[in-house]
Amino acid sequence: MSSTPTTSTTARGEPWVWLTSLGLIVGLVMVAGLLSLVVSEGLRVFWPETVAVTELKEGRAIIGPMVQRRIRPGSPASAPVYERQYQVGMREVNGQAYQWFDESRVVKESFPAEVMGLERMENGPAFVRPVRLTNSAGKVYQATEAAFATELQNEVSRAAGIREKIASLTKNEIGDLNSQMEKSRIDLRRAEDQHLPVEPIKARLEQLNQAYAGLHDQAENLQKQAGLAKLEVLDAAKNAHVIPLFQIVRAWSPNQLSFGERLGIFFSRIGEFITAEPREANTEGGVMPAIFGTLAMTVFMSLLVTPFGVIAAVYLREYAQQGFLLRFVRICVNNLAGVPSIVFGVFGLGFFVYVLGGTIDQLFFADQLKYNNHSPVFGTGGLVWCSLTLALMTLPVVIVATEEALGSVPRGMREASLATGASKWQTIRYVILPAAAPGILTGVILAMARGAGEVAPLMLVGVVKLAPTLPIDATAPFLHLDRKFMHLGFHEYDLGFQSPDSDAARPMVFATTLLLIILVVCLNIGAIYIRNRLRARYKSASF
Amino acid sequence: MDSSDKKPLQPLDESRFQVSPWTLRVDTWMGRLISFGGISVVLAVLGMLVFLVWQVVPLFTGAKVTSQPELRLPAAVVAFGEDEYGALPFIGLADGTIKFLQSSDGAVTETWTPELAGRHVSAVRAYSRQGLVLLGLDDGSVQFAKITYRVEFTSQGDRHLSPQVKLEKPLTVGKLTSPVRDAWVAQSANGSLVVLQQELNGHPVLTATRLLERKGLGGRVTVIPGTPSVVAEGVTDIAEVLVPSTADTVLVRRRSHEVLVYNYNENTEAFALTQTFKPFANTAQPEISSAGLIFGNVSAVFANRQGAQEVWSLYPQKQPDGRSLRRWGLIHEGETLPGVPQGIFPAEGNKCYLVVAGDRLQIRNMTTGSLRWEGPAPKGVQQVIFSRNYERFTALTSEGKLVRWKLEDRYPEASWSTFFGKIWYEGATEPAYTWQSSSGSDEFEAKYSLVPLFYGTVKGTFYALIFALPIALLSAIYVSQFLRPEYRNIVKPVMEIMASLPSVVLGFLAGLWLAPLVDTHLISIFCVILILAPLGLLVGAIWAGLPQPWRRQVKPGLEFVWFLPILAIFVTLAWQLGPWVESLLFTVKEGQTGTAIVDFREWWRQVSTLGYDARNCLVVGFAMGFAVIPLIFTIAEDALSNVPQSLVSGSLALGASRWQTVWKVVLPTALSGIISAVMIGFGRAIGETMIVVMATGNTAIMEANPFSGMRTLSANIAVELPEAPAGQTHYRTLFLGACCLFILTFVINTLAEILRQRVRDRYKVI
Repeated sequence: MSSTPTTSTTARGEPWVWLTSLGLIVGLVMVAGLLSLVVSEGLRVFWPETVAVTELKEGRAIIGPMVQRRIRPGSPASAPVYERQYQVGMREVNGQAYQWFDESRVVKESFPAEVMGLERMENGPAFVRPVRLTNSAGKVYQATEAAFATELQNEVSRAAGIREKIASLTKNEIGDLNSQMEKSRIDLRRAEDQHLPVEPIKARLEQLNQAYAGLHDQAENLQKQAGLAKLEVLDAAKNAHVIPLFQIVRAWSPNQLSFGERLGIFFSRIGEFITAEPREANTEGGVMPAIFGTLAMTVFMSLLVTPFGVIAAVYLREYAQQGFLLRFVRICVNNLAGVPSIVFGVFGLGFFVYVLGGTIDQLFFADQLKYNNHSPVFGTGGLVWCSLTLALMTLPVVIVATEEALGSVPRGMREASLATGASKWQTIRYVILPAAAPGILTGVILAMARGAGEVAPLMLVGVVKLAPTLPIDATAPFLHLDRKFMHLGFHEYDLGFQSPDSDAARPMVFATTLLLIILVVCLNIGAIYIRNRLRARYKSASF
Repeated sequence: MDSSDKKPLQPLDESRFQVSPWTLRVDTWMGRLISFGGISVVLAVLGMLVFLVWQVVPLFTGAKVTSQPELRLPAAVVAFGEDEYGALPFIGLADGTIKFLQSSDGAVTETWTPELAGRHVSAVRAYSRQGLVLLGLDDGSVQFAKITYRVEFTSQGDRHLSPQVKLEKPLTVGKLTSPVRDAWVAQSANGSLVVLQQELNGHPVLTATRLLERKGLGGRVTVIPGTPSVVAEGVTDIAEVLVPSTADTVLVRRRSHEVLVYNYNENTEAFALTQTFKPFANTAQPEISSAGLIFGNVSAVFANRQGAQEVWSLYPQKQPDGRSLRRWGLIHEGETLPGVPQGIFPAEGNKCYLVVAGDRLQIRNMTTGSLRWEGPAPKGVQQVIFSRNYERFTALTSEGKLVRWKLEDRYPEASWSTFFGKIWYEGATEPAYTWQSSSGSDEFEAKYSLVPLFYGTVKGTFYALIFALPIALLSAIYVSQFLRPEYRNIVKPVMEIMASLPSVVLGFLAGLWLAPLVDTHLISIFCVILILAPLGLLVGAIWAGLPQPWRRQVKPGLEFVWFLPILAIFVTLAWQLGPWVESLLFTVKEGQTGTAIVDFREWWRQVSTLGYDARNCLVVGFAMGFAVIPLIFTIAEDALSNVPQSLVSGSLALGASRWQTVWKVVLPTALSGIISAVMIGFGRAIGETMIVVMATGNTAIMEANPFSGMRTLSANIAVELPEAPAGQTHYRTLFLGACCLFILTFVINTLAEILRQRVRDRYKVI
């Protein structure tokens, strides 16, 4: 800065101020851009778009919505070749559900009203021209008939009902039987080994087998019942296909829908996404088990972390002798929040899973280990280890938040309580903790938000891409701490990066991302809200 | 209370001041409980590091060797071997008799004599690993005796071994019919090789013959000898023959201390001399006293009379004619041995070897040169074999004893230099820092250098900070010093939400959305980034030059609202400018067709001769920057806005402009707080896992190229730990990586914390 006098009325260094404002803008734009990208891409997944029939140069036609347009990778920047990705569906015919075509090959695009979208149990969605429908009573409806559409929807919902029945049959009853059979098999091996009578166990196994066969038949009958209704369609190449209605989850005519109908499908798809089980290697259906697993793990983690965190904080703030050592301990605990999450995962695997879990198995499940091919019970990843690992990871968050909350309880309140003759514990219990509760809650919510979004350590201690059972169900002991489970964050990682058909998985990844962000952002906003109210309260309550 | 005339005062009700014992007891007990709980939580948290270190320590321990009872042998032994469990060693006598000994007391349990129809055994060699005894006969033929053990478990669970010896058909493999003096066999996946040493006119003659296996009807395998080929013809001073198990090479050591390499030529079906090398050629004492092949058989250790060691290995070397051929070359010079080397014997399953030197036994690792164990040697060690699982070794002595040791060395490849040193691995062309933890092959040597991972970590962190620092610090300055307070209450929670975005989301968007975008629009992105700073200054300068009434329109603290539309226009322009700039600066000729194309990626490949990956450092830096910005912002903003108001007011009152105040007063005061913020951001970026896993190619390479991927410590753990078997070297090495991460971040954070405390103290003083 020169010292020569100036006549300008402008303050010195104003350009730099503008430069700093740029930093803020970039930061805000980044957040807004990311959130809007995730929201728009995530919601687009559920929106029933119009479906084009596209004719290509070589006489080939495709039916399916255009998904994206891009410069072909590797094409020189001087002469970029654009290509379009279409969701052509019908994996059994097209091989891949999403295909890229050079834009130059597209001759004509039209949106005929008769095109129909079908979501199916297998081979992904299909975009077809319907020909005729045979309903479960055997009556035939041509696609041109007026009653076709209503009858189709009736049959679809009927098929859904049957599928549900079969699902509940296989999941609850057959699942139950399976676990009993597994137990009996272990019993049998034990009996054989220890020369105990095996006859009663064998008899029981036989009985279970028969029950299993009965249920199996029942399920098959149900399926047969449903198999009667079918839909005959033409694909893009005008080849005829017969699709059993049992396979159809949803049928809609994308080019005829009114806005309201589109909205209806949109919400019904969101509902399915949240409440249904995944299908087809997680690329279709819902993410209910992952939501459930994430919630179960997070709740269990917060149940673990809250008491320990609060006790540690109360000790550090109220009981421990303040001094150099305490300051050191405090810094250490603080810094633990900065230790990478993967390190906690490594510790969880080494200590919780192998040392603790291994010991539990040795002590309580030695029998099961011996007679069940040495498959570990607690000596492998599971819900309890995930929760413990994340609890350890988020412990500093809770300790720091609680200490802060304890510290900001006005001194007057503490002194008033002691002056009225309350003991130290009574003061803590009846005055300080209630006053600090919102602060502690903020810490716990922040810990939950961090835990819900964390993936790296969970990959090591018990998250899987597809868990056959939920960690909480109707079989005793109801809460299965040893089970592996699904998690939204891992689901996203697995779908996005381990999936064989990453294009087909893409919509689901975006939807999962949206869900995960909503979950985490809601938790955070909750924490921020509570904290702001807390500040207001202390302001007014100060002595 | 002496005033008896007045109404006596009520005596104080003592009980009113008494605390109920229950309350006191609860108070004490809760105090103890909380102290206990608090201390144990703190200890548990600190115990984490202890546990991690405890898992890593075994890596740095040497081998543990305990000697077992010696076995006295019943006869003069020329060869010996063992079963898998070391329960039933066998010995081969000079006449081809094989005896099995009980390992507990040395009693002979079984004796087998070959039926040779009048011929006599003239050479015996045992291959313990394959359970093979090679008998050389006096008519120039060889015969294999195959030893198999049948394992039975008794009802008590004890193991009972019963050996079986099967003599195979005699094979005539040599040209001569004179007695076989020595014989070797090598078996590999693509064939077997038998080498014989016979005598002709008082000179040794080596014959090497490949054995071809024909599968006949019913899966019966018949062995047919191929064309015999004389090796080292005319070489009369053969000192030692080494036959690597690759079955295509014969190494002949001459008494002149030269080593001749003969390789099998597929076309001529004969062995031809391909290389001659001389270990210790540059030393005063080129006399080789011992030599031995190492497990895997592409490396050999030589030791001279002085105890100096050299490791020669087969690796691709550039020939004068420009071709690259696999030739033997010196890769290590080992430590000097404690005495005259008497024998070098390879371990099984890893690159260790046992060397007998003077009166000491040493187990050393060939790759790292580290000494695993040293102990006294029994007298007259002739031969040493290791068990297949590398848990035992046995020596045959000239005194007719089998001396046995139990060996516990679970991490033979681990050493300080393995993890942090530059190591010349066998088969590699030069020493390098390499991370390569697994492969399908059995003889594969895992490479555990953590250096490339550290390099990747630092590289990723560097790019993240380059991107994050300007944005975070500029916005922290603006928000804390210039922005209107009512907007601050919006901006800060937004930044907190940004901080809470799960890293898996950022990683996914970086890998699947950003990477393709950067790939096709790199130059446009560069253009946008480059115009940002000049644009900020330029707009500020133009605004400052406007007449005052115009300037008044922009309220202080609201600059960013006016800036937004200007920025949008210029960013769009810069984006559109991208292709034009690219065609101007980055036009290259395509390699094959020679047509000029405009492509930065191709340009980069040709100009820098480095690679270009779609998932590169820029993408990772951008995504990690996202994770780091809010962290740095929050702490820096805190430090800046807590600068005592008196300082700011004083500066402004003296006539400094608001920027001068910030630059000369606020920033210097808050400097250590800002440094602490940067350090904490650094710590976070170091440990970031999912973003790196998803947005890079995860290749452990060390190059400074900004357009290539990398593998970081944390990503490496996430990718490999689920597959690493518990307790083994790989597993513990990953723990070592975790330990390093822990310590690194802990130290950085502690320093940052101390800095922050100092800032706080300083503000208090002011």
